[in-house]
Amino acid sequence: MRRAQDIAAEEKSMRTILTLTGAFEGLSSMRIAQIKNQVLESRDFFADLWQMYSQLRVDQLFNYGREKEQKVINKDLFIGITAEGGFSGDIDQRLIDLMLKGYDPAKQDIIIIGHHGAVQLSQRGVAFIKYFRLPTVDKNINVTPLVQHIQEYKTTSVFYQSYTSLMVQDIKKVDLHSAVQAAGTLVNEGDDIITEINYIFEPSSYAVIAHLERIMLQISLSQMILESKLAQHASRYRAMSSAQQLALDTSSGLRLEYNRVRRAVGDQRLKEVTGGMKVVRSHQL
Amino acid sequence: MAMRQDASTGQLVDDGRAAPKTGGQLVDGKPVMHLKIYSPFRVYFDETAFSISAENATGPFDILPRHHKFLSLLNPCELRVVSPSGEKRIRISGGLMHVQSDKVKVFLDV
Repeated sequence: MRRAQDIAAEEKSMRTILTLTGAFEGLSSMRIAQIKNQVLESRDFFADLWQMYSQLRVDQLFNYGREKEQKVINKDLFIGITAEGGFSGDIDQRLIDLMLKGYDPAKQDIIIIGHHGAVQLSQRGVAFIKYFRLPTVDKNINVTPLVQHIQEYKTTSVFYQSYTSLMVQDIKKVDLHSAVQAAGTLVNEGDDIITEINYIFEPSSYAVIAHLERIMLQISLSQMILESKLAQHASRYRAMSSAQQLALDTSSGLRLEYNRVRRAVGDQRLKEVTGGMKVVRSHQL
Repeated sequence: MAMRQDASTGQLVDDGRAAPKTGGQLVDGKPVMHLKIYSPFRVYFDETAFSISAENATGPFDILPRHHKFLSLLNPCELRVVSPSGEKRIRISGGLMHVQSDKVKVFLDV
């Protein structure tokens, strides 16, 4: 039987875990609220910009905002957006699994965002051409270096974590070209179509469209990064909630065991005392 | 004709009044346009204005009400807005201007 003081020590450490998981859960909940707030704040601006882009008749010309004569690498670029640290449950592992499912080093190159994903790739012996830290800011995320890489490749697929609800997060793979193109074709009825016939473009239609394509790429990437951060915090919240529940159950179990052991020790002592008394009485008689 | 939303059915119905004109409005006898200057997380200006001056690759230019539809990249410059409430200057690092039927939108930080 375990000693009562050992059980008490274990229960104490379990209470510490309970406090820590509670703190992490609180932090995750706060960050989820903050990021959701950011998304709401910028919603009108991005909606207007998407609206204007959708009115442009450029869908067939989409060229990742490249210069006219820019040469491209005849490979697909995989971009994986993962968490910077651990404690995010299994969401990063699932993302890496999906990314490596159809991976062929001869046909694809990988850029990984987030330290946790980079570690996971290294552990599996998979090389990546570039690693970026997951941006700590939620506003004005600078994705320009990423867009420069995207423009060098024929096509790009982004693997990111999507937020459905606090309890449900999913892994998504999108072809960046299709994602931007699809959003660009959602014209509301009655909206003007922007063409060279009815608009003046300055400095030129090609320059404006190329700039807009870069902007839309940047916005799409920023939104995917922000959504991944939201999903990571939600996943962390979920992991911490489970850990907290487990710690609570373990702590209750330990408390029961502690009480049982103490009672058993008491009973044992009582048994010894009564046994001793019986011996003494038998000697007196 | 102007439309209003029926409280019971939620449908849009004609209320029999003349609809307010969205273009060609006058303030102090001068034509005005609606101007919005904003970035993802901040609105710098969202009112009627008499004019806006900016700079693009071809040089400085002014936009007045009834301007032709126009889409332009903006250079780093100082935007000068003249509105019924006075003059306002906003320094920008670049942006995008969209002019469409007396509505002007300037997207900053893009």
